[in-house]
Amino acid sequence: MFRKIAVAAGLMAAAIAGPAQAQDYPEKPIEFIVPWGPGGGSDTLMRIVAQGLADETGQAVPVINMPGVGGNVGLAEFAKRPADGYTISQVHEGLLISNGTGITDLNWDSFMPIALVTSSPQYLTLSKNDNFSNFEEMVAYAKENPGAVRAGVTLAGVPHLHMAMIEDAFGIEFSYVGYEGTGQRIRALVGGNIDVAIGDVSSAGQFVENGDLVFAAVGMPERTAEAPDVPTFTELGHALDLAVTRGVVLPKGTPQDVADALEAHLETVMQNDDVRTKIQNVGSAPVFLGQDEYKAYLGKLSETVNRLVGKLEG
Amino acid sequence: MLDAFLAGAHQVFAFDTLIYMLIGSVAGIVAAAIPGFTVTMAIILTLPLTFAMGPLQGVSVMLSVYVGGYTGGLISAALLGIPGTPSSVATTFDAYPMARKGEPGRALSLGIWSSFFGTVISTIVLIVAAPPLALIAVKLGPWEYFALIVFALTIVASLVGNSLLRGLIAGVIGLGLATVGPDPMMGRPRLTFDADMLMAGLPFLVVLIGIFAISQLMGEVEDHGKGKGTDALIPDVIEFKTWAVMREVLMHPVNLVRSSLVGVFIGALPGAGGSIANLLAYDQAKRSSKNPEEFGKGTPDGVIASEAGNSATAGGGLIPMIALGIPGSAVDAILMAALMVHGISVGPRLIMDNADLAYGMFVAMAVASLMMLVVCVLSMRLFLRVTDIPKQFIVPTVMICCVIGAFALNNRVTDLYLLGAIGLVGYGLKSLDYPLAPLVLGVILGPIAETNLRRALMSDGDWTVFFTRPISAVLLAAAVLSVIFSVRSVLKMRKKDRPATDEQDGD
Repeated sequence: MFRKIAVAAGLMAAAIAGPAQAQDYPEKPIEFIVPWGPGGGSDTLMRIVAQGLADETGQAVPVINMPGVGGNVGLAEFAKRPADGYTISQVHEGLLISNGTGITDLNWDSFMPIALVTSSPQYLTLSKNDNFSNFEEMVAYAKENPGAVRAGVTLAGVPHLHMAMIEDAFGIEFSYVGYEGTGQRIRALVGGNIDVAIGDVSSAGQFVENGDLVFAAVGMPERTAEAPDVPTFTELGHALDLAVTRGVVLPKGTPQDVADALEAHLETVMQNDDVRTKIQNVGSAPVFLGQDEYKAYLGKLSETVNRLVGKLEG
Repeated sequence: MLDAFLAGAHQVFAFDTLIYMLIGSVAGIVAAAIPGFTVTMAIILTLPLTFAMGPLQGVSVMLSVYVGGYTGGLISAALLGIPGTPSSVATTFDAYPMARKGEPGRALSLGIWSSFFGTVISTIVLIVAAPPLALIAVKLGPWEYFALIVFALTIVASLVGNSLLRGLIAGVIGLGLATVGPDPMMGRPRLTFDADMLMAGLPFLVVLIGIFAISQLMGEVEDHGKGKGTDALIPDVIEFKTWAVMREVLMHPVNLVRSSLVGVFIGALPGAGGSIANLLAYDQAKRSSKNPEEFGKGTPDGVIASEAGNSATAGGGLIPMIALGIPGSAVDAILMAALMVHGISVGPRLIMDNADLAYGMFVAMAVASLMMLVVCVLSMRLFLRVTDIPKQFIVPTVMICCVIGAFALNNRVTDLYLLGAIGLVGYGLKSLDYPLAPLVLGVILGPIAETNLRRALMSDGDWTVFFTRPISAVLLAAAVLSVIFSVRSVLKMRKKDRPATDEQDGD
């Protein structure tokens, strides 16, 4: 009997308190839908962020992998979840490209972008071959022999966009070979089955150190601490920003005070030294852009994608 | 080198590490024994726990889950006729009939010892030959992969059961099923009919569980209704004869070593893995056997080949990972992530820069296989208790595990509807005496063949490259020989069996 009264009282209290008070958020575990398979870049980074968020809020943040169709299966499911702040997800450049090429109707503005949290600098990586050994030689060779340079990319994926940006800026033409994931591309590059690919420090750094591969250029505004000898595209003539940036999103329609609370929690998490070190260890950079800056960033990125999308459909 | 070896061993033999590894071993075995739960799932669950451990300790624990998992699949394969993991499909062919004939203890012991020796052999190859093997593996381009898959497809001939025609049809159905969903290169939908359910394709594990587990369970219910079977799945008193069986396994040294080497080789090729190795090892054992007609009826050779083959992929998969930092399978990718979180860059310099870690992993593999052996031998009696449980309890329980496992794979509810539909198809095919293994082989190999064929032609539009690259040419020639050999042996067998057979296909 007492139990029943207590439950009833609890329900009433909850009803009075109304949904999702920001100062209480979160008061139960937050599900983190990672729309990619386990073991990949998004999964590893988001597990680190999830662990940080759990430590910060005192609530569990279980990661749910929902892979399929380049992240679109998980995001489609996420879009249907209640907009109460207890289901969060992650997007990166891939979503914008999928939208541009017509694979999904969802786009970045189908969600509430909360915070950009990691940025992984991408390097144009060359195999060891007889025709070129640095960026200028590669461009010269590609201009003389259009289509002779084989580029390994995820077709209609982020690396494809990055390669198209390089083609567009430097006026060259690659022929594309489809690979799934950075690991596969780097393996093909080491084995000499392709000539150029987009790589990162965690997957290709040791091959470069060993002399098996060459980092020709980095797609960041400034040279990176991990590879200080590698020139930026800006130094080489065209300011290209090639990074995979991952941010946390909420379903559209989430109360603004919940969004603000999550943003504040994430800001604290991203200042945590342990989280920052772990993110750097897996070859990415911890960053923080709040809601407004993140939206502006995605808007600008969307313009680039839409301009180049024709190149990705071939 | 000895210093690094001792430093690594010192860390692995720490008391707490050993305790964690023991827990990991049990967890891997149990997860793999339950149809629908996979080793990969068990390892993902361990990943966050290892963040708090040292790098070698964390990896050692994950390795013991890994090694345990390659053995655990044997248990449901032998006792229920349902592969516990994709890598124990071939184990069902002979371990289950053997158990049904009243020797479940022998079937389990055979599998456990073969797994143990398979892991040990693969670990030895890993220690001795990792760098050169990894260099060969990395040079293989899409041409070689395609040729290898063509060769692997010819083993359908070994899996066809009673009728070559029905076997080939099942294989083609499998290849067809694999084309549903996003195409592997561009992600464009194929044969999805705009249904949300088919948008992500037919996940391989859902097909596997549906085809094998659901059809097997429905078969059990049917037998029960007809009053054909007894209440328990396997009757009779159980004898283990652990040591006698160890000697029995060692009496098949050629099969054991050949199957293990097949496993190592397939494991070392990124992207192939245990689900192919067990079938390939089984096929090789059957072809070189003097009594191929005994395969599928409970011959020890079949169990040894499958279990040694799949367990050896564990060590094989580590070859490209330790030597070059290239993961051989999804599990290896998770292992790499676990190391990277600790600030260890995994790549071609791992053995040089972190020698104690690399050698520690070798030691951990050896310890993990010993632990797996001890845990299995001690707990076998417990697992065999499953056979005392009446069918009306065990069938629904296994069914529930299958459904949970199929859901947990991608967390998609629609996968469950697919599971039901595929289960019905599997049951229908089984009732019509279609062999199911060729279908599963088609589903595994189809996408790899397609991806590599398209990749090869994108790299170089010239078809002749398939014949001018030496390894590719050798593999394609082997495929042709394999087909000729199979046709010949089918003809020979038919001649021998003609009076007794009830062949009605006219194929």
